[in-house]
Amino acid sequence: MKWLTKTVMAKPQTIAVLALVLVSASLAVHAEEARQRNLSEDDYMGDVPKVLTVSRLSQAPADAAAAVTVIDRETIRASGIVDLPEIFRLVPGFYVGTNAGYVYSTDYAVSYHGANSGYAGTMQVMINGRSVYSPLYGGVKWSELPLAIADIERIEVTRGPNAASYGANAYHGAINIITQTPDGTPSNSVIATHGNGRNEVFYRHTGKQGALDYRFTAGYKQDDGLDDRNDFKRTRFINAQADAHIDLTNAIEFEFGIGDGARGEGDIAKDAIVFLPRTKQANNYYGLIRWQHQVSDSSDLTVQAYHSYDRSNDQTRSVNLRPIIASFPDPFAPILAAALVNDDVFIKNEVIQKRTDIEAQHTFALGSNIRAVWGGSIRQDTMYAPFYLDSKKTEYFDLQRLFGHVEWRAHEKITFNTGAMIEHNDFTGTDISPRASINFKLHPDHTIRLGISSALRTPNYVEEKFQDRLVIPTNLANPNALIFQYRANPGNVQPAQIISREIGYLGKFGNFNLDARLFSDRLDDVIRDSDRTDFTAPANTFLINPNDVRFADNNGTAEMTGVEFQANWRISRKTRLLLNHAYVHIRETHPKLKVEYVDSMPRNTLSALLSHQFNRQWDGSFAYYQTSEAHLLGDGMNVDLIRRADVRLARRFNSGRWNGEVSAVVENLFNNRYEEFADYNTLKRRARINVRLDF
Amino acid sequence: MFSNHHKKSLFVKPLVSFALMLILFAPFLAHAYTGITIVLSANTQMNQEFVEHFREELIATKNTALRVKVIDLQETDKLVVAENSELVIALGIRALDAASKLKQSTPVIGVFTPLPTFNTLLASSRRDLGNFSAIVLDQPYARQMSLIKTILPEAKNLGILLGSTSSQYGELLKEIGEQNTFNVVEENVSDESDLIPKLRLILDSTDALMAIPDPLIYSRETAQPILLTSYRHQKPVFGYSQSYVRAGALAAVYSSTKQLAKQAAEIAVKSQAAPGLLPPPQTPKYFSIAINFQVARSLNIPIVDENLLYKKMLEVEKLQ
Repeated sequence: MKWLTKTVMAKPQTIAVLALVLVSASLAVHAEEARQRNLSEDDYMGDVPKVLTVSRLSQAPADAAAAVTVIDRETIRASGIVDLPEIFRLVPGFYVGTNAGYVYSTDYAVSYHGANSGYAGTMQVMINGRSVYSPLYGGVKWSELPLAIADIERIEVTRGPNAASYGANAYHGAINIITQTPDGTPSNSVIATHGNGRNEVFYRHTGKQGALDYRFTAGYKQDDGLDDRNDFKRTRFINAQADAHIDLTNAIEFEFGIGDGARGEGDIAKDAIVFLPRTKQANNYYGLIRWQHQVSDSSDLTVQAYHSYDRSNDQTRSVNLRPIIASFPDPFAPILAAALVNDDVFIKNEVIQKRTDIEAQHTFALGSNIRAVWGGSIRQDTMYAPFYLDSKKTEYFDLQRLFGHVEWRAHEKITFNTGAMIEHNDFTGTDISPRASINFKLHPDHTIRLGISSALRTPNYVEEKFQDRLVIPTNLANPNALIFQYRANPGNVQPAQIISREIGYLGKFGNFNLDARLFSDRLDDVIRDSDRTDFTAPANTFLINPNDVRFADNNGTAEMTGVEFQANWRISRKTRLLLNHAYVHIRETHPKLKVEYVDSMPRNTLSALLSHQFNRQWDGSFAYYQTSEAHLLGDGMNVDLIRRADVRLARRFNSGRWNGEVSAVVENLFNNRYEEFADYNTLKRRARINVRLDF
Repeated sequence: MFSNHHKKSLFVKPLVSFALMLILFAPFLAHAYTGITIVLSANTQMNQEFVEHFREELIATKNTALRVKVIDLQETDKLVVAENSELVIALGIRALDAASKLKQSTPVIGVFTPLPTFNTLLASSRRDLGNFSAIVLDQPYARQMSLIKTILPEAKNLGILLGSTSSQYGELLKEIGEQNTFNVVEENVSDESDLIPKLRLILDSTDALMAIPDPLIYSRETAQPILLTSYRHQKPVFGYSQSYVRAGALAAVYSSTKQLAKQAAEIAVKSQAAPGLLPPPQTPKYFSIAINFQVARSLNIPIVDENLLYKKMLEVEKLQ
């Protein structure tokens, strides 16, 4: 009974004297205590700002309308990944492949349930609710994101279409990357990585300035890429996040980031003609402001606005074209070759994309059993891409959305979810994407979910607007130019549609958690490339490739069926196993779908992460990834079965003021030579060491 | 004078004997009081409600002979009380501080008083437990743990963050934890910058966080990082106030103003005959529970019926 001892001791004079001696002996401690105020009734009964507001509280997996995989910091750390997209290998049904492409495609290809091209245009990807999905090719330039892995708090991946919540393009799935909210704790961290073809350094600082909690991260990444490819990346960036607590019911959040760097790209083959190995520049920035207002205890309003800018400047020169043209099997070929104005052709492929988006969202609870969210947004994307669009004009793409979602717990064992989004955009007009599901909680630990969801995918620029070509001028009157036409899109592509039906199961058996999903998706109006036969080149020009001009249209239907599961087993307090498997079978139900589409998802994908804490200092993990044969779309090719094992060992150190961790990672431990995405991307064993210092 | 379920509260046993000693050595013999002066730290709604409920309680128990007078400290330069004939009930620590300076023979009971602050005031004043007591705001730890056990029957490891004010209760918490089959994991926070890293450590190794009041740890400013960090770890927080539950803690045991007023009235009536013999400071006798159902739902913690939960807790207290 310490409090009593203290009271009694303070009374008698002699002990008080003794106490005085003690006090002077430990002045520092008492000085510290003196600064501490006394607890008052206000500490117990005063108002506290509502932190877990209705909009901040996510649905428990057992109530959720869809299968959701949450990857937390600890999993990211245990995986030992160095590039963010690699983490999606730990989500069942994902394909992740690195690609050292030729034009605008040197990055990771990430997709869920196939249709994987170099640009992975079938998912919505957001960072803190800000869409980073590019309308140009439809994917995400992962390596351009001004973000450090250490900034990430968790990643939520919705498996299956979820357009009702995230809008069209949440076609096969949606990814929301959530960064660490600044918590006001003053701290500094330096994180450095060195290894095969890789050097990185980051500095993070968090702090507090009055009612403003903030964090900023600055980083430099040097990635030498794959062997025998010109795919190096140098990236430097700064990002910042700040929360201002205005009063008990209002908060404002700010986010800002800027990054730039040089990238290697290009075809290193000896017989390459254009898009030769070269260095291009990329730069981008974004800014976001979000106002969170608590209307009442059970209702809050969020209004956010953001603007982003992405620029890629790629300038490249072809080889000398005269000998190539001279060798054409045409009697006039030598004359054409001699008549070229220049030996080569110069391509100035500058792309500037801007996005401005304003969104308002109102979340509220009605009683204890109904929770709803509704809102709307307006967005404008602008695109300046003279090479791709064959026009110096900036294109505008406007998008308006209205969405609503209701969760109704009709009974303690039954939860209904239903929602829809209505979208209007400049490409395809007005569309609606609804969804509905019912969850049966047979037991607090066992839930069955039946769901149906529909989503649309708006064609992107490569499918709707691309008119890219090489123009090789001559001195002749006719043809005054030779033309190599890559794409000639007539436009008017309709959105692709998916209707997904699923049966989900969530179970808990002691320390073993299982999330299983049986799905059957029907895909209509699949957007695909074909060869265009009716393309005519401008008058007085000569088309070099009349049989090889590509365009996109809605062509074919398919069915995608399969099963996937995710098991999270806490074997002991110190050992954890994460196991994922997906079996995906794509079947064409319309003969026009080519074989590649059907094979664009590996039939089986398997991943496992075993992590173990040896003691307070040491921990280690072992990851295994297996992907069966697949034929990737776009620039992709046929790739064989992949088996890869990674191992990681880490030691934490704690010496008062200096804390941190040293870890070593070996990727592809058994040095299997395998190819990802296309046969020119050969992966070998790579190792690296990572040091983290917190002070 | 204590109902059964108080035997295990923080202080009872040693205090009873201590109080007995005090009677023997009591320097002043106080006279029975004829009136009660309630001193308000400020004229807040909560304090007014207390006065109202206190009066109602006296009427309900037919103790109308006791006069009740109210003094608002904010409207008084110096606290003046008819010191030989009054019982002083001080609402809030400002009022208790002022009342602690009254003549020693005037019995004082603090209400809306945190236990650590009561101890500080007792130590700094020239008062003794017999004439200076309180109904503290702190709920018995056993009761709080009983709530946690009732809501999370499978929970084994209970995390606790201690600061310079609350570190003195570390041992006691471990002991009471053991009695409630909890393994209590404690982390000491010595500096503000330590708070979130220590919290993360705790959350990694425990099933729930039990909040122990400490100005360094639980404040208006730290509510957001604490509740958000815990939520992101998918671990529930058990608070000690209604407002913390509203902010995002899963549940809390607390006593309403009405419940505290009822307990204060009971003491006032019982001690009338022997005002120098106030019962020792005690934890709230009557309590309520607050639950944040939205948080429970999001964490997938089934709480079927609040009343059932409350009944279960009462049964547990009776057994103890």
